[in-house]
Amino acid sequence: MSATFWAMGGYARFVWPCFGLAALVFAWNLWSARRHYAAARLKVERALAMSASEGA
Amino acid sequence: MWTWFYKLASPPAVFRTAGRLAPWFLGAAALAIAYGTVDGLAFAPPDYQQGDAFRIVYVHAPSAWLSLFAYVSMALAGGIALVWRIKVGHAVAAAAAPIGASFTVLALVTGSLWGRPMWGTYWAWDPRLTSELILLFLYAGVMSLRGAFEEAARGDRAAALLAVVGVVNVPIIHYSVQWWNSLHQGATVAKIGKPAMAPSMLWPLLAMLLGFMLFYGGVLCMRLRGEVLSRERQAAWVRELMQARSER
Repeated sequence: MSATFWAMGGYARFVWPCFGLAALVFAWNLWSARRHYAAARLKVERALAMSASEGA
Repeated sequence: MWTWFYKLASPPAVFRTAGRLAPWFLGAAALAIAYGTVDGLAFAPPDYQQGDAFRIVYVHAPSAWLSLFAYVSMALAGGIALVWRIKVGHAVAAAAAPIGASFTVLALVTGSLWGRPMWGTYWAWDPRLTSELILLFLYAGVMSLRGAFEEAARGDRAAALLAVVGVVNVPIIHYSVQWWNSLHQGATVAKIGKPAMAPSMLWPLLAMLLGFMLFYGGVLCMRLRGEVLSRERQAAWVRELMQARSER
């Protein structure tokens, strides 16, 4: 890649942080959605374990 | 028709459908965003006035559109849940809020980074910027309100009501550049007649818009599964599902 491309016509310090932040927002959304699902699953498993121990 | 609708909106059906749709949405989003990013950064010509700084549009405009789209979808889901008492509506609204809020932050920060070289300031109390900031506060209000009640159902109803009332801010954001004097530029893509953009600049933008929307669909499905599972943890179908999975 040429230095001209990375320089973005002198606007590199504005352009690249925007794309970097967008990548962070995408990554956060994916991580957060997975974590949310994992937490919900754990809640269900705990509820199942509790009802099983109450039944025993 | 209503029987079909209620069946489709039943928690187990939503849980299954969301699980099937998420990878397709996310795969298509990755393709559209990869194309839009490469074409927008490397091949679209620089703008004759803004130079290469205009490339910020490829993340700013899609995130701003998505912030509005996510809000409308959240309010719609909340409204449906309030009127027809469809429980999944509240789950959809709860899943949409953090995604919409994150893209509102992205729209505000990228707009600010674009504003510095173009307007000479990171922030101005301009109608478009201020109404977008109010949108972020609305998202924050909806999320806080949902968690503010001991009884989850009351929190859901209060959050849905605020989301529905807050919809009034969406046309204000959209038309703010026409109704008031604004630093922000007017419509470029959604202009009636001909978009004020050359096709070589427009195609990557349309790809990014599509990619962001598909990503929203994918992440919404992922979050919705967690939301449904959490809300339905006492239901028989969830127990059966978990037992079947643990036996595998």
